[in-house]
Amino acid sequence: MIQLLAGKEDLPLHELAAHFRMGRTGVSKHLGILKEAGLVKDRKVGRETRYRLDAAPLKEVRDWVAHYSDYWSANMMRLGELLEEEDEE
Amino acid sequence: MSLSLNMDFQFESTVERLWSALTDSRKLAKWIADNDFKPVVGHRFQFRHQPTEFWDGIVNSEVLAVEEPRLLSFSWEVGEEKHTVTLTVDDLGNGKVHLRLEQTGLSNKAALAGAEYGWKAWAGKLERVLAEQDAAG
Repeated sequence: MIQLLAGKEDLPLHELAAHFRMGRTGVSKHLGILKEAGLVKDRKVGRETRYRLDAAPLKEVRDWVAHYSDYWSANMMRLGELLEEEDEE
Repeated sequence: MSLSLNMDFQFESTVERLWSALTDSRKLAKWIADNDFKPVVGHRFQFRHQPTEFWDGIVNSEVLAVEEPRLLSFSWEVGEEKHTVTLTVDDLGNGKVHLRLEQTGLSNKAALAGAEYGWKAWAGKLERVLAEQDAAG
């Protein structure tokens, strides 16, 4: 679903539903969950609702992992130094 | 949504020395943060990092597994975030040891709450500490 939306500006429900074996209700429910998670935004255009991806929260998740990655890398440098010091003793 | 982090490191050391650096509270303080760790399953302890404007620096933890000298696992709790950190030691021979770090259970909640900035500040501090240590020799 996210992949489908990633390549497009926005898409209406029936176009999204065409890609899935589940019915429109299922797709709509799925979109509802993504919307709740802040990953999908919707807007009304006439009678149809169009959906688009908001990737910012996904990027923040990646950053969160990146912060830990930096944190442990820095720590491991200190661990390496500690092990070297011991070697010299 | 839950993510995990896997990192691999290699040191020129022995399994015994690396295990000691992972499980001796004084040594942990030198490469992670001040702590009251004990290698006893069920022991609750804290890592106390330098506080920042955004974070008190405290990680609440509980020892989950101790399999000397190969595996150490503890919880890693900061605010709403509850992660598990697992460290695994492997002997590579020729005086080399491998350390695998696995951190699981990372969610996007804390990042959304703006904690990102706290981590950035923290990472900056760490770099300074490292630089100071280098300067001090």
